[in-house]
Formats: sequence, structure tokens, C-alpha cells
Amino acid sequence: MTLFKDMAAFVAAYWMVLLPMALAVAALTWLLPRPRGRSIGRGAACGLAALLAGGALLFRSGRSVTPETVLFYAFAGMAILGGVFLIVQRNPARAAISFAVVVMNVGGIFLLQAAPFLMAATLIIYAGAIIVTFLFVLMLAQQTGFSNADDRSREPFLAAFAGFMLLGVLLIGLLRSYPESQTLARTIERLESTRDQASLQEIRSRLGDSTEIVRLLRHEAMRRGGSSRVIDFENAVIDLEAVLGSGQAGVEQIRLRIDEVCQAGHALIRQDEPKPLPAANTKALGLSLFSEHLFAVEMGGTLLLVATIGAIAIAGRRAEATT
Amino acid sequence: MFDVGALLWAIPGLPLLAAGVTACLGPNLLKRQSHWPVILGSAGSCAVSVILLFALATSPGQKPALEAPGLSDWFSIGDFQLPLTLQADSLSAVMLLAITFVGTMIAIFSSYYMAHEDGYPRYFAVMGLFLAAMTGLVLASNFLVLYAFWEGVGLCSYLLVGFWFQKPAAAAAARKAFLVTRIGDAGFILGIMILWQRYGSFDYSVVFQRASANPHGLELPCLLLFCGAIGKSAQFPLHVWLPDAMEGPTPASALIHAATMVTAGVYLLARCAHLFALTPTTQLVVSCVGGFTALLAALIALTQHDLKRVLAYSTVSQLGFMFLGLGAGLRDNGLAVFAASAAIFHLFTHAFFKALLFMTAGSIMNSMGHVIDMRRFGGLRRVLPVTHWTFLCGALALAGLAPFAGFWSKDQILEAVLHAGHQSEAYGTIYMGLFAVALFTAGLTAFYTFRAYFRTFWGAERIPEEAYHHGHGHDTEDHGSSKHRFETTLAQKFPLVVLAIGAVVIGAILGAPHWINALLARSTAFVFAKSSPEFHVNWWLVIGSTVCASAGIGLAAWMYLIKPALADKLAAAAPSLHRASTQRFYFDELYTFAVVKPLAVFALVMRFFDSIVDGIVDLVGMFPRWFARFLRTVQDGLVQSYTLIMLVFLTAFLAIFVLWTR
Amino acid sequence: MMPLANYLVLGAVLFVLGAIGFLTRRNLIIMFLCAELMLQGVTINLVAFARQHGNMTGQVFTLFILTVAACEAALALALILMLYRRRKSLDVSLWQDLREPGLDSSVDADAPLEEPLPESLPKLTPAGLEPDQTPEDTYV
Repeated sequence: MTLFKDMAAFVAAYWMVLLPMALAVAALTWLLPRPRGRSIGRGAACGLAALLAGGALLFRSGRSVTPETVLFYAFAGMAILGGVFLIVQRNPARAAISFAVVVMNVGGIFLLQAAPFLMAATLIIYAGAIIVTFLFVLMLAQQTGFSNADDRSREPFLAAFAGFMLLGVLLIGLLRSYPESQTLARTIERLESTRDQASLQEIRSRLGDSTEIVRLLRHEAMRRGGSSRVIDFENAVIDLEAVLGSGQAGVEQIRLRIDEVCQAGHALIRQDEPKPLPAANTKALGLSLFSEHLFAVEMGGTLLLVATIGAIAIAGRRAEATT
Repeated sequence: MFDVGALLWAIPGLPLLAAGVTACLGPNLLKRQSHWPVILGSAGSCAVSVILLFALATSPGQKPALEAPGLSDWFSIGDFQLPLTLQADSLSAVMLLAITFVGTMIAIFSSYYMAHEDGYPRYFAVMGLFLAAMTGLVLASNFLVLYAFWEGVGLCSYLLVGFWFQKPAAAAAARKAFLVTRIGDAGFILGIMILWQRYGSFDYSVVFQRASANPHGLELPCLLLFCGAIGKSAQFPLHVWLPDAMEGPTPASALIHAATMVTAGVYLLARCAHLFALTPTTQLVVSCVGGFTALLAALIALTQHDLKRVLAYSTVSQLGFMFLGLGAGLRDNGLAVFAASAAIFHLFTHAFFKALLFMTAGSIMNSMGHVIDMRRFGGLRRVLPVTHWTFLCGALALAGLAPFAGFWSKDQILEAVLHAGHQSEAYGTIYMGLFAVALFTAGLTAFYTFRAYFRTFWGAERIPEEAYHHGHGHDTEDHGSSKHRFETTLAQKFPLVVLAIGAVVIGAILGAPHWINALLARSTAFVFAKSSPEFHVNWWLVIGSTVCASAGIGLAAWMYLIKPALADKLAAAAPSLHRASTQRFYFDELYTFAVVKPLAVFALVMRFFDSIVDGIVDLVGMFPRWFARFLRTVQDGLVQSYTLIMLVFLTAFLAIFVLWTR
Repeated sequence: MMPLANYLVLGAVLFVLGAIGFLTRRNLIIMFLCAELMLQGVTINLVAFARQHGNMTGQVFTLFILTVAACEAALALALILMLYRRRKSLDVSLWQDLREPGLDSSVDADAPLEEPLPESLPKLTPAGLEPDQTPEDTYV
């Protein structure tokens, strides 16, 4: 019985992850190529629904809509669509082109993350070299378009189920690790607003349930691990709790403690935000590459050499070439 | 001089080393020369035994003994320690001399007898091992080491009797020998354990000392020790293995089943004479068993046609004599010493003439192409001259005719029994009865010995066909000529001659001036002998035994030389008795019915249970197989299945990690 | 600023799509492309973390992934070519020889579809003869 209750509680807690996953499984089951039973219309509808539901998961109300947001959703959406096309295309040449679309959008994501060099490198290497090589091999092998094997997929439902189960687990994990982090900012705001009140009673009344606030703050601290800033924050919260708990604390003491908590809290919030990367991305990349990771660079070069030799050795038998 | 004590290790050590060398190098390197290590080893052993004997004989002490340093704690459990040391006194010296001398002669003879056999190195390796074990047995200083070597000689007996193991009869005989002696050994080890439990030690001197202080309830362990002797020395009721053991090579029979191994039981009782002397009832049992066996075996030997069987039964009979003598050892007046020394003296002379007789039988058998049935050959005295004269010496010694060896020792035994009959308060009449039985058996001994002699060497000359096909030193083109040389090599003749000389003179030399009795009286086994026994010749006894022996010889001569048809008429006159004797009094059949068959049924029942247990084990073993058959379907050769499994388990792992922890 | 989690979600989605494609499709080339798709998801993750922590390590790692992907593509294509030469097909289901002895190989349940007819190439009349004038042949 408790098993069912646990499962029900689980579903209730994470329905917003499970719903898009279920829709996506249905979508892919219909979309993946098979001789009979393939239904592109239904699959596309389910897929769009899944995409929108998933997007809603990511969407946080209350944030400002910046160009970055728009670009992110555009690039992400097109990358995912490209990925889905890659999977469900019957024609392998079209699948290769979809992969090129994915690569371009991923390049866009890289731009959003202040990695222009990587964008260029990815585009050149993937879209320029790898996909072209694939297309060459495809032309050598399958001139007639698509073969019988391309028309079939192996166990579409099971594979989709397994894959989206993995995605579900990953998303639930992400959800638990990165929940809406406005809690800390809002609580700090509340504290700051109560600080400026005049008298003790007003402070206390504005503060409301002090134990609730303290609990939220401690939860946020626990979530963030054990770095030194978190430890400082925790100590400040403990002091605040002590002061609030004792009856005869003065206004100045309470204000002092609140200030400390707010200061430590702001430091934590700053820690959450992404840090600036150097604008001269290529230069920084080069510096880092050739000083910290020099050995890896050399190994990478050796790896390329070995791979070249290997490829020539494997595929270079001209005598065996059959017409 | 030098420390003879340290040399003691050479006595078992040299034959053991020889056995090892023969076993390792024999098959590939020595091949047909494999006899040299063993001959040299046993000759060396013999030399050391002679040195030992001289050292002890010339030693001034009352009861001289030599000890060889060994492992003082061979194994120890808690504060109980068992040493592995060798100890020699005059009793050991006498036995060692007999064993090693006869062993050397037999080894030399074996190099002729086994010359064309496969497994030549194996034979000599086992013979060396046997000599090492037998000498070790005699030199042991405590019961457990004795038992260990006891088992060792049993093993070597098994290996030698079953030498031609591809022959089913030989394999069965070896098994029978081993199992029957095993029954005796079970009693033996029980006796040792009871002695240990009661007296807290395995060492001879300690046990004897404590036993004389506390002799109550000594009957049981002594009976159990005697049980071991019954098994090893083939007394009734465990005598059935010795005649079958004749399946082995004849020199092996000579060594093991005539001269040495079967005398281990006699040695044991002589060594424990102190214990046995404290329990007159056990002594009576020993004498009765010995006397009964002597009579039984002699009666069976009357009608056997196989020469080796005759000799085997005569061995059983003579061993009965030895036990009869041992059992006459009552405590008073040094009679125990005299009786025991008489038995050992008979053992000594018996070793010589019985080994000689067996070797001559071997010589006959080899020359006649492995035919030993007396009905198929006759009148061989011109064809095998050396064999003939040496057989005659041995036969006269066995018959106990003065002045040959057997006379002196048998006479001493009869004298001991007579003394016991006079001196024992409770059992005097029984001993007198046993004396009468012994005299009668002596007569029978002479009779059947000379029956064999006359049938083999006198009468019309008949040589079986197989003699000419067997490749022992004759020319195949010369059929029918009496110029065949059946006796060729020195290895064949030399041991026979030496032992024949021994059989003739040993008795007179050792027995007439009672040297051997004096020597044995100085053994540490006879700790209680305060006075040395007095010896006076009982002329009536001498005359009586000579009359018996001569009567036996004369009867045999009349029945087999002068009137050959008389034997068959007598046999026809008493057919059931004759048949009982020929069929060895149906002992084998009785044992098969009473013991072997029930055990076989029991074994069958056990095998059924065992199959159930095996079935359960097999069933448990099937589970992995079924499970694997189920699991095997995962491996279908498709890359994508494998990837799917990896993905599923990755998901599971992550799920556990993410959802359950934290 | 987009929270880090969004980029990680995108990376996860691309990874899982690649995984599903790899499990499902039977064409060797497409399988390999799906593997590359998985790598793209991973690189998104790495770059997002680089941005979050403010150092270059994630981008350096991505660069190496790019290198390795290039090597991998080269070798994989060489191997695919060898496999193609043996069986004249890019179907991965043809290579089931490592299964347990005694198990049947998995074959397609349905009957194979008819091969799509190759597009008919234009036929040229031999020189000197009048081409067959049928109305269908006259359009370009």
C-alpha cells in the first residue's frame, strides 16, 4: 500500500516532467519509420505538445524577457526539431542535412554562452568536414536513396521509452538541484524591507513567522553545499535566530543581525549567477589551452595522427575495391 | 669404536635410497640393471646388521641397546610428543640379520627370475621399499612408528602380490591380502590405543614399566595386539590370504610371505612378551590359535597339487608353531624368555629354509615354463641338480630332522610347550594337548614336505611342453635331450647354495650351544627375566621328534616313491575328508558367504544412497546452467540491444542516485 | 540571464534524442550521426558550465571533444566502408555473428517492401534512327 502511495505522491510531485515525457514517447513511436503504422500527423502533434510542455517547464515567470531568452528558445527549439528530424527521416541524406541544422543551432547556443571560437570551430569541423564526409560515404554506398533497412526501426516504442525514462530521471534530478532560485532573493528582500522599520514590534510584525524565514534560509544554505560563503551565511542565520528567539534583544541588535544575513545572502546570490568570461575569447582559450592543458594538446595531436594512420590502414586497400 | 647408533639409520635408509633410485632412474636409465641398487642397498644393510650384532654381542651391559638419534618430536599435539627414533637390541639384531641376509639373497635371485618381465624396475623399487619398511618396523622404538611401518609392509605386500595386476586373479589376491590383514590391523590399532589410554605412552619401555605396575585388565589390549598378529601372520581365522598371495612372483613370496612380513606378528608378540607374560589367559589363546592353525594348515597341505601352495600352507603351519611357542611363555623361571627365544629362533631358521624352498620352487617354475602343478612334472633331479640338492636341504630342515636347522628350533618350541604343560597350574592339560598336536603336526610337516619332494624330483622324468617355449637358457632346436640346461646363471644358483648351507648349519651353530637363547635373553623385551633359563637337553623329546619326522619321511617315501598308487587309493577311501582338505576346508567359501556377500549387498545399498546424494548435488549444479540458459538470450549479437541494456542500467543507476539518496 | 538549468536541459534532450536514434535506426551512417548528436548535447553542457564557473576549462574540454569526434568520424567511416564492402549494405542487422550459439538471428518480420524502382534514365536512340514519337516523350 505504501508503495502505491509513494508512487502517487511521486507522480503528483513531478507531473510536469512526466507529462512531456509521455507525450514525447508517443510522438516518437509514431514518427519513427516503420513499414506500417507510421503516423506522421499524430506524431507531429504529440511532439509539438511535448515541446511546448517542456518549454513551459523551463519558463520562469517574473523574469524579464531579454534577447537572450528569445534567442535561447529559438535556437533550442530548432536544435531539438533538427534532432527529431535526424532521427525520424527515412532518407539518410536528409538526415545528414538535419544534423547540419542541429549543429548550426548548437553553434548559436555557444554564442549565447560567450564561446564564439567554439561556434566557429564546431561549424567548420562538423558541418564542414564530418557531414560532408558522411555524405560522401553515403553516396558511395547507397546511391538509390534509401534501402529497406532505412524503412524500419528497431523497437521504436521500447527505445523511446527507455530514452525518455533517462531524460525524465535527468530532468527530475535537475529540477531538484536547480529549483526556482528566487526563494533566496525574495527572502533577502523581505528581510531588507523589515529592517528599515522603526520599532521592534513593527519589525517583528513585518517579519511575521520568524521560524518560517529561518527555515527557508537554512534550506537554501543546505542546498548550496559547504563552501566558505555558505558557512558564513549559515552562521549569520544562526545568530539571527538566536537574537529573534531571545526575548530581550534590542532593535539595534536585530538590525545588525539582519544586515549580516542580507550581506551573506547577496554574496550567495552573486555566486549563483554566471560569471563573466573574458571578451577576448580566442586569446583566453589559447592561453588556457597552451599553458594548463599543454599535455592534452600534444596528446590530441598524437591522437589525430594515429587516427589518420588508422583510417588509411583500415580503408586503404585498393586491391580489394570491388565495382 | 664408532657410534653404531648413528649407523642404525643406514639399515632402513639404504634400501629406501635404493628404492628411490630404482624408481626414478630405473625405467629410463637402468632398465635391466635395476637390480643393482637394491642388491647393493640390502647388502649394505646386511653388513650394518652384522656390525650391529657384533656390537651388541660384545657389549658388556646386561641388556645392551643402541639408540639412533632421530626426530625427538616427530609430531606433537599439545604436550604429547611422538618421537621418531630407532632402537636396537639383541632381538632386533637377530631379526635384522635374518631380514637383510635373506633379502639380499632373494634380490640376487630375483634378478634371474624376473629377468624377462615387464616392470622390472617397479619390482625392485617395491622390494627396496619393503626392506626399508620391514627393517624400520623392527627398529621402531614405539608402537605408533611400529604401526606405521606395519602398514608399510602391508602396502608393499599388496604391490608385490598384485605385480601382474592385469591378471584378474592376481589383482583379486592382492586385494584379499590387503583387506584381510586390514581386519587384523583394526584390532591392532585398537590395542595400541587402549594401551595408550591406560598407560599414557606409546614407548615400549614406558608401557612395559607401567603395565607391570598395574596389570589389571591387560587381557583386552593383548588380545587386540594378537589380533593384529593374526592378520599379518596368517593365523586362523585370517589365514585365507596367504595361499592366494602365491599369485605374486615367487621371490616376492619368498621374501614376504615366507621369511619376513609374516613374521612381523611373531616379532610383535616377542617384543611385547612382557605384556603377554602378565596375562596367562592371553598366552593360552595365543598357543591355542597357533596350534590349531598349525594343524589345520598341515592337513590342507597334505593334498595340494600346487607346489607353491604346499609351501604356503607349510608357512602358515610353521607360523602356528611359532605362536604356539610364544604362547607357552609363562612368567615363572624364565620360561617366558626361553619360549620367546625359541619362537624367534624358529623364525630365524624358518626364514632361511622357507626362503630357500620358495626360491627352489621359483627355479622349478621358471624352468618348467611357469608350470608349478606337481602333476605335470616329475623326476627333475637330473634336470635341475642344484635345485634338487638345495631343495633337499630345505626339506630336511623343514621336516625337522637332526642336525638340520629346523630340528633345533622346533625342538626348543616343543620343549617350551612341554614345560608350560608341566608348570602351568590352570592350563597344564591344555598345553599337554597342544604338545601332542604339535608332535603330530611335526610328523605331518615331514610327510607333506617329502611328498612334494618325491613327486617333484623322483619318479619318471616328465617335463611339460611349456618348458621348451620359455626362453630361459636353452636351445630351441634341442628337443627331448636331457642335456638341456635349465639352470644357467649364477644369480640362480648362488643364493640357493648359500641359503642351503645356512639351512644346514645355522641351527646347529646357534641352537646347540644355546647361543641364540643367551643372546635373545639380553633383549630389552624381556625386562622381567631375572635369571637366565637353564638348558638341559630333554632326550626323550629329541627321540620323539626324530621318530615323528622320520615316520613322516618314511611314509612319504613309501607312498610316493615305492608305491605311487597307494595315495590315490587312500584318497578314494576317504573321499569327503580328502575333498575337504583339497578344498581348504571350505574357509574361503564360508567367508564369501558370511562376510563378503553381505558386505556387497550393503555396498549396493550405500551406492543407492550415494546416487541420491549425487543427484541432489547435480541438481544444485544444474541451477547455474538453467539460469545461464535464461540469461544467454540477452546476447543476441546486435549492437543496439547491448546499447539498450547499457542505457536502461544507466537510467536505473541514475534513478537510484537521484531519487533515493538525498 | 537564463538560468544554468535551461542549458543543461537542452543538453540532456539532445543527448537522449541521440540515444534513441542510435538504438532505433539501422543505417550505420545514421547511427553514427546520432552518436555525434549525443556529443553535441554534451558540449552544450560543458560550455554552459564554463560560463557558470567563469573559466575556460569547459571550452577547452569541448575543443578536445571536437578533436576526438573528428578522429572518431574518420575511423568510423573507414570501418563502415569495410563493412559495406563485405555485405554491400549499410544495415547493422546483418552483423549479428557475435550472438550466442543456439540463438536465432533476428530477421525482419515483415516481408521486405518492394524496392522502389530506380528512376528511369532517359533512353537515347541509336544514331541514325528515328526516335519513337510518343506524346509522353515529347516534353522536356
